[in-house]
Amino acid sequence: MIARLRADSRTLPILALIVAAFGILAAGNPTFAQAGTYAAIFAIAAIGLSLLMGNVNQISLGQAGFFGIGAYAVASLTTAWNLPPWLSWPLATLIGIGVATLVGLGLGFIALRFRGHYLAMATLAFGLICVGIFHETKFLGGAIGIEDVPYPRFGPLTISGYPAYWFAWILALGAALLTLNLLRGRSGRAFEAIRNDELAAEVLGVPTRRYKIFAFAYSGALAGLGGAVYAAFLGIVVPDAVSVQLSISLLLMVVLGGSGGVSGALIGAALIGFLDISGHQFENTREVVYGLLVILVVIALPGGAFGLIRSRFKTAKLPPRSLATPSPAAVTPRALALPAASGAPLAVAHVTKRFGGLVAVNDVSFALTRGTLTSLIGPNGAGKTTLFNAISGIGRLTEGSVEIAGNDVTGWQPHRVAALGVGRTFQNARLFGEMTVLENVVAGAFRAERTSFGADLFALPSSRRAEREATERARDTLARLGLEPIASTLAKDLAFGDRRRVELARATASGPWLLLVDEPAAGLNASERTALTADLLKLRDAGMTLLLIEHDMRLVMSISERVMVLKFGTMIADGKADAVRNDPGVVAAYLGTAS
Amino acid sequence: MFQLLVAGLTVGSGYALVALGIHIILRATRIVNFAQGEFTIIGGLLALTFVQLFHANTWFALLGATLAGFVLGLIFERLVLRPAARSGEIPLTIATLGTVSILLYGHALIPGWGSLPQPLPSFTGNASDAITVSGVSIQVQSMWVLGLLLVALAVLYVFFERTYYGKAIRAAANNPTGAKLVGIDVTNARAVSVGLSIALAAYGGTIIGPITLVGGAGGTAIAIKGFVGAIIGGLESPVGCVAGGLLVGIIEKLIQGLPGVSYGISDPIVYSLLLVGLLLRPQGLLGARSAVRD
Repeated sequence: MIARLRADSRTLPILALIVAAFGILAAGNPTFAQAGTYAAIFAIAAIGLSLLMGNVNQISLGQAGFFGIGAYAVASLTTAWNLPPWLSWPLATLIGIGVATLVGLGLGFIALRFRGHYLAMATLAFGLICVGIFHETKFLGGAIGIEDVPYPRFGPLTISGYPAYWFAWILALGAALLTLNLLRGRSGRAFEAIRNDELAAEVLGVPTRRYKIFAFAYSGALAGLGGAVYAAFLGIVVPDAVSVQLSISLLLMVVLGGSGGVSGALIGAALIGFLDISGHQFENTREVVYGLLVILVVIALPGGAFGLIRSRFKTAKLPPRSLATPSPAAVTPRALALPAASGAPLAVAHVTKRFGGLVAVNDVSFALTRGTLTSLIGPNGAGKTTLFNAISGIGRLTEGSVEIAGNDVTGWQPHRVAALGVGRTFQNARLFGEMTVLENVVAGAFRAERTSFGADLFALPSSRRAEREATERARDTLARLGLEPIASTLAKDLAFGDRRRVELARATASGPWLLLVDEPAAGLNASERTALTADLLKLRDAGMTLLLIEHDMRLVMSISERVMVLKFGTMIADGKADAVRNDPGVVAAYLGTAS
Repeated sequence: MFQLLVAGLTVGSGYALVALGIHIILRATRIVNFAQGEFTIIGGLLALTFVQLFHANTWFALLGATLAGFVLGLIFERLVLRPAARSGEIPLTIATLGTVSILLYGHALIPGWGSLPQPLPSFTGNASDAITVSGVSIQVQSMWVLGLLLVALAVLYVFFERTYYGKAIRAAANNPTGAKLVGIDVTNARAVSVGLSIALAAYGGTIIGPITLVGGAGGTAIAIKGFVGAIIGGLESPVGCVAGGLLVGIIEKLIQGLPGVSYGISDPIVYSLLLVGLLLRPQGLLGARSAVRD
């Protein structure tokens, strides 16, 4: 479970108790019950937005569009149908959520193209278009909207007035629980990884684009549910009720309460619900206060109200500290599943990569032999990392092709390349800073973890088991590398050398058979280097194929079966370590020639 | 047809100034100010107050509103944008939305402003005065609007291209670190940029005031149409922003002028241009293909 969610998990039952207590107190007070019901309705929509904003780092100013889809689905269908009341509302709601989800998928797909304020504007346009459509569609009532929406009825119980409070809050808390389940499992870890470092998540095999689209669809579905409850509770739906103002209000709730997780959204919705009702007579003043509050929160309290509560849970169990003496390594990777029918683990053919006029990699070809350790060296700017990027699918090749274990992966997205069994580390150790070391390594095993979305959502035993196993495996990995003492340290607090070793642990957690390691020894001290060397050799001896970029010649020459040299993008030498070391061209490249 | 075009250019002038204001703030602070439309509304109302309080004519009110807009911009920068800048792009955007809430609902609380739109006296003669050019009658007010738009653009051009201070502001926006190294006060330049942008918004709200009324809840719509203009023309290009704003006005009036079309359909169509523009040509018609995904 992500550290950030620990507070959420403990707070949710308390919030449920408060909701129940308030419900009992509000029994004789229709005004309070009504305010509470609105709070629940908006909470449902706010939870989705909170996930989108806090867990995936996307913004949406169009949530009212989804809310409207749910509301109009219920209003139009339940008034048009002649179904029994117990069936009518649930069925219409499901249809509304379905449509909202599909539209959310579409919007999520579009949203991939935008970031920051461009995304804010694109989603704003989406919300406006929805209102326009509601406004101009005849059978949705045009500007007048739809009146006399029947209350949902289950047997003798009619969901209106006081019972609606309980009904709406059961749905809201249910949505909160399911969302929390989702965030506690593999999907939540993937979200958190994306939020921290999209590229690193992608090369670990997380289909980041799919997850971002999914987040939009999920937030759309919840907003749609909110709208469906709203339509039934209020009995009337008009276009103005689902205007941009609602999108902004939802945003305010999430910001006030604190985004990410579910508790912040619930608190924010309750706050606004309370302010709404207590400021009833001061209609314009109330909105001014919201505006001031939001600005104050953004400036002084970026975590929102729940951020204050969350910070109490933050105290790490173990203080961050460096591992003084790295244990002589002991990575024993799990059985490496090499693909049965395959050629060379990696074959690069005539790869060229140009950035404008600059040729970073020029017609490079080579193939690796299984179970060997090959080093790629060359002066700074020789194109080594660019070549790694080309292999792992980051950016497009200008020319040439890359084949991994018999698959032509040219043009594949990085997560698909990773899924073949390719691991990689980065020159600047791109760990997920806000996650602990353990979580980083569990996230590394994303591909190896077997669980389904549905199982996660309902926290089925299979999901819990997968979660337990993944954590156990990660603990084993850490134990073998001697990294256990720092398991619960946040990655951003790590010492530099530890960072590298954690990244290596993360890259090998899913059991890849091809590993690309980018300058692992940079910045390490002597004993750390010894440990690293042993780690790498161990991986090779277990059958892994390694390609290593490194500047430390002693390390390179002592462990490499083969050394390749790049200079200005061109391969100038390729052979056994000794032969390359004495190659006049290589010597010239590194030391220059006497002229 | 020609009349629609003139009507389009008239409302488009307001959008053009909003788009240009958004552009100026974006250049200086790297954020999009969602409150730009509300500042336009406030500007018109300030002009109204000058007219009522000092029995001034609209010309004097225009000057007063523009100066007051500049001061308002400095306050906005100091109290909202600068303190919130540390929190990142999304929170900063949200802070401008909070500003929308304050201005939109706050202005209705001020005595004399209220929540309903009010007329602003014409610059010359009566609001309905028109001249006839080869059989087509054109409102005199429309001509004032276009003329005053050109004046504002000329002043801005001279300021940014010809004066030392204008160049310093541009330098600070293009490369804050570099500007700092050559001794430009970047913080100050940022504040002045925001002040100029809000002054421009107030100016725009005043010049279209005699035609569109001032006050009311239309600020969000104006801001969004300004966005549409900025996106169509190119958020990063000042000329594109103005052209895009004018184009949005023309499109709006042409749609409304189509026979048998409901008046209300023009807004959704204009808004969807925002999405279409973002998808097809995110850098805008006149923007260079750079900084699209920042």
